[in-house]
Amino acid sequence: MPRILIDDRVVEAAEGLTLLRAAESAGIPIPHFCHHPAFAPEGSCRMCLVEIEGYPKLELACSTAVKEGLKVRTISPKVVEARKGVLEFLLAEHPLDCPICDKAGECKLQDYFEEYGLFRSQFKEAKEKREKKFKLSRNLILDRERCILCTRCIRFLNEITKTEDAGILNRGIHSEVGIYESELIDNNYAGNLAQICPVGAITDSDFRFKTRVWFLESRKSICSLCSRGCNITIDSHPGQARTVRTRRVYRVRARQNPDVNFHWICDYGRYGYAYLDEGREDRLVWKKGDTETRLSWDKAAQILIEKVRSLVHLQKNSRMGVILHSNLTNEEFFLADRLFRKGLGIEKLFLADPPLGKGDGFLLTVDRTANRRGLQEVGLPLHDPDLKELSGLDLLLIFGHYLAAGTSPADLKGVLEKVETKALFASHKSGLDGLVDFIIPVPVLAEKDGTLTNIDGRVQPLIAGLDFDGDGVPEWRALLDLAKELKVEHKYFAPLASPKAVYRALQKEKPFFE
Amino acid sequence: MDEKVLTQHFGVEGLFRIEVYLGQGGYKAVETALRQMTPAAVLDEVKRANLRGRGGAGFPAGVKWGFVPQNVPKPRYLCVNADEGEPGTFKDRYLMNHNPHLLLEGTIIASYAVGIHAAFIYIRGEYENVALRLEGAIAEAYRNGYLGKNILGTGFDLDVAVHRGAGAYICGEETALLESLEGKRGHPRLKPPFPASVGLFQSPTVINNVETLSNIPFIVQNGADWFIKKGLPKDGGTRIFGVSGMVKKPGIYELPLGTKLRTIIFDHAGGMKDGKQLKAVIPGGMSAPILRADEIDLPMDFDSLAGVGSMLGSAAVIVIDRETSMLDVLKAVAKFYSHESCGQCTPCRIGTAWINKIVKRLGRGEGEQDDIDSIIRLASNIKGKTLCPLGDAAALPILSICQKFRRELEGYLPHA
Repeated sequence: MPRILIDDRVVEAAEGLTLLRAAESAGIPIPHFCHHPAFAPEGSCRMCLVEIEGYPKLELACSTAVKEGLKVRTISPKVVEARKGVLEFLLAEHPLDCPICDKAGECKLQDYFEEYGLFRSQFKEAKEKREKKFKLSRNLILDRERCILCTRCIRFLNEITKTEDAGILNRGIHSEVGIYESELIDNNYAGNLAQICPVGAITDSDFRFKTRVWFLESRKSICSLCSRGCNITIDSHPGQARTVRTRRVYRVRARQNPDVNFHWICDYGRYGYAYLDEGREDRLVWKKGDTETRLSWDKAAQILIEKVRSLVHLQKNSRMGVILHSNLTNEEFFLADRLFRKGLGIEKLFLADPPLGKGDGFLLTVDRTANRRGLQEVGLPLHDPDLKELSGLDLLLIFGHYLAAGTSPADLKGVLEKVETKALFASHKSGLDGLVDFIIPVPVLAEKDGTLTNIDGRVQPLIAGLDFDGDGVPEWRALLDLAKELKVEHKYFAPLASPKAVYRALQKEKPFFE
Repeated sequence: MDEKVLTQHFGVEGLFRIEVYLGQGGYKAVETALRQMTPAAVLDEVKRANLRGRGGAGFPAGVKWGFVPQNVPKPRYLCVNADEGEPGTFKDRYLMNHNPHLLLEGTIIASYAVGIHAAFIYIRGEYENVALRLEGAIAEAYRNGYLGKNILGTGFDLDVAVHRGAGAYICGEETALLESLEGKRGHPRLKPPFPASVGLFQSPTVINNVETLSNIPFIVQNGADWFIKKGLPKDGGTRIFGVSGMVKKPGIYELPLGTKLRTIIFDHAGGMKDGKQLKAVIPGGMSAPILRADEIDLPMDFDSLAGVGSMLGSAAVIVIDRETSMLDVLKAVAKFYSHESCGQCTPCRIGTAWINKIVKRLGRGEGEQDDIDSIIRLASNIKGKTLCPLGDAAALPILSICQKFRRELEGYLPHA
C-alpha cells in the first residue's frame, strides 16, 4: 500500500482512496460539508482544502487520490487561513438563527466555527432574504437562508433513490435548492435528507421544535420494523423526575453499516417509532373475575410454574399450548425450543405475526417482523394458530399481541373462554388483554439485549437502545426462570444467566450461528 | 500588412461563401492533411508549431490533442469553444462572421489528427447571426464533400453541429461547456479527470477555441517553422488583439505575438481618443489584472504578461483614460463576476457577491475606512481556492485594481 505523510505522520492507505478518507482512518479529521462517503466527490464547499508539498495551490482532500510519497499538511497556516475564509463566506450569508434551529448542537457549521473559526464578523452588508419554510416533502422543510448549497440532498436524490426530484435553481448568490413546482419529494427515503443535511437547512417536521438535541440520549439499536435489520440510533429523552413525563423517543436515525443499510433507513422505519412509547403494557396483573391483582414477576411465575407442574404430573403435557411471534431474539427462540418443545414436549406451538406489508425494492422488506430468519435457523417448528386446536386447553402461553389483530374478537373470545389458564406476555395493549388471566408486560426488541438474524442471514448484536421500565421481564429471562424452577433439563439451563451465555449455547448446537 | 494570417482575406467580398473561400485557396489544407499526411504527422506539426490556446489559458494545442487516448472503445469528440464571453473580447465573432470556413477547415483537420468523427461548435447564445452564418457554412461544406461521410474520398468521416448557449459566462469554462452541451446546468466539473480522457458524454474530448482552430490550416499548409516565425519560438503565430475603450480606432488587429502593448494602442489603434490621457489598460480580457499607463512597454505574449503579474488571456485590450473613475471600473468588474458566478462553490458564490455589495456601497458614498482592505482580503480568499478558474478571473482584476489604484479608491471614502 502507498505510504503518505499527513502532518508528519506516516499513513498507509489503499491506492485510489481519497486523502480525506486516508486522514480519517489515521484519526486526523479534515473538516468538510459537501463530501459524503456515499456520493461521488463534489468539491464545492472548499472546506477540505489541504496543502500538498510541490503543488502550487491548495488541493481538495475529498477528491485527491492517495499517491505514494505525498506530503500533506492539514493544519498549515495556509490551510487554516483558507478554512477561515470558507467559514467567513458561509457565515456572511447565514441567518445565524441557531437559537431556534433544530440542528444546533449537531451542526457542522457551528462545530467548525468553534474549532476553526472564532473570528469576529466583518460583514456589514444586508444579507439576502430567502424562503424560510419551503415544503420539500410531507415531512421536510427547507430553510433557504440556512442552506450552504452543499447539494448533498440533490445528490442523494440523484445517486441513491435515483428519483432526481431536486436541483439548483438560479445562479450565483441567488442559487437555491428547488424541486419541481407542485411536486413534492415523495419516496420512502426522503427522511434521510434531514439527516445528511450538514446544517439546519432541511428539518423534519416530525422533530421540528420538539426538543434540543443536547437533551437527548443516543443509543445504538437495530430497526425491528421489517426483516432488513437496518442499523439505527435511537434518540430519546429519559424523562424528568419532577414531572409526570416519562421516557420518550424523539427520533430514529440511520447508523452506517455498509453490509446492511449503508448510511440510510427508510421512512417507514424512521417515522415508525411511536410504538416504542405508546400503547405499552406496563402493569403485571392477575385477573380473577372482576378483580385485578398487581403482582411481581416472581409471584406470577410461581403460579404459572405450579400450573405447569400439575399438568406435567398428570401427564397432560398435550393440554398446554404456546403462541410465539417473530419479533423475538435468536436466544429467545432457542430457549423456547429447549423449554417448550424439547423440555415439556408441548406440540401445540403456534406462530402469530403481524401481517405482511409491501416491500420497496431497496431496504424495506415484505416481512414486517425482525427475526423470522432467526426462527427458521433455530429450527423451531411453528404453525399458524388454528383456533379449534386451542379450544379446551388447560394452559395457553401467548407471546405477543398479534393474535388479536388477525382474528375476529368474537371468535377469539369464544375460544379463549374454553382455555382454563391464559397468560399473555405482551409489550403492547390489545384486544387480548380482556380475555386472559395474566398480563405480563415485556420489553420490545429495542429494549432488549440479544441477537437478531436479518433477511440475508446476517446475525447482528442487539444492545438495549432504551431502558425497559414495565413490571415484567424480557422473554429470555421469563423462559430461563420457568425452566430453572421447573427443573427442566436442569443441567442444561442452570449455567445460563444472560443472552450472551444463551447465544454461546446456541452457537454450539446450530452451526449457522457460529 | 503581410504579417496577417487569419484575417488576411477579410476584405474579400462574400468570403463566408464557400465558392469565394475556395477561390482564395480555401480547403487546400484539408486536402493536404487528409491526402498527404497521416494523423500522427498532423499532430506532430501542430505540436512543433507551439500553437498555444487562444481562449485564455494558453495551453499548447498539440499537447492537448496528444492527451486524448486512442485505444479506447468510446467515441472521441471535438468541442469548438465559441462561447466568447470574456468582456472586451470579440475576435472570435469577427473570425466566424467573416471566415466561417476557416474554422471548419481547422475543425476538420483537428478531428482528423485526433481521430474524431463528431464535432460541436458551442457558440454563445447572443451570437445568433453568427450561428446562422456557421450553419450556412456547414451546409455548404457538406454539399461540397468537406463534411459528412468519406470526406474527399479519403474514408474520413466527420459531422459538425452548432449548439447555441443560453447566456452564461461560466459556459465558456470548458467543463461547464461540456455539462451545458450535455443538456445539464452549466456547472464546472472537478478536474481530474480532464476532458481529454473523460469529457463530453464521458468520452475523450478536445476543446479548442475558435481562433486556435482557425490557425490549424495555416500550420498544415506552411509548416511549423513558418508558423513560429510569425510569432515567437515558444509562442507561435499571430494573435488577434481586440482593442476597445478610449482609442481612436477600436477594433481587431492581427499582429505577431510579442508586439508591444504601446504599439498596439498608439500605432495600430490610433492612440487615445479626443486628446484623452491614458490611465490604465486591461490587457487580456476583463479577468486579466490591470496595468498602469507606465507598464505598457512590454511585448504581448503569454510569458511577458505573466512576468508582470497579468495575463494575455483572450488578448482583448481595454483602454482606460484618466477621466474614467477606477471605482466605476471596479464596480463593473465586481458586478460582472458576481452576476456570472455559477454559485457552485462557496468562495466564488459568496465572495463575489460580498465584494459587489461593498463596492456598490462605496459607490453610494457610504464607504468605510477598512473597505478596501476588506475587498483585498476577500479577493485573496477567493484566489486559488475555487473549483474553476472563474474565482481567479474575478479575484485577480479586483486585487490589481485595489492595489494599483488604492489612493484613487480611497478618495471615494467619506472623510473621517
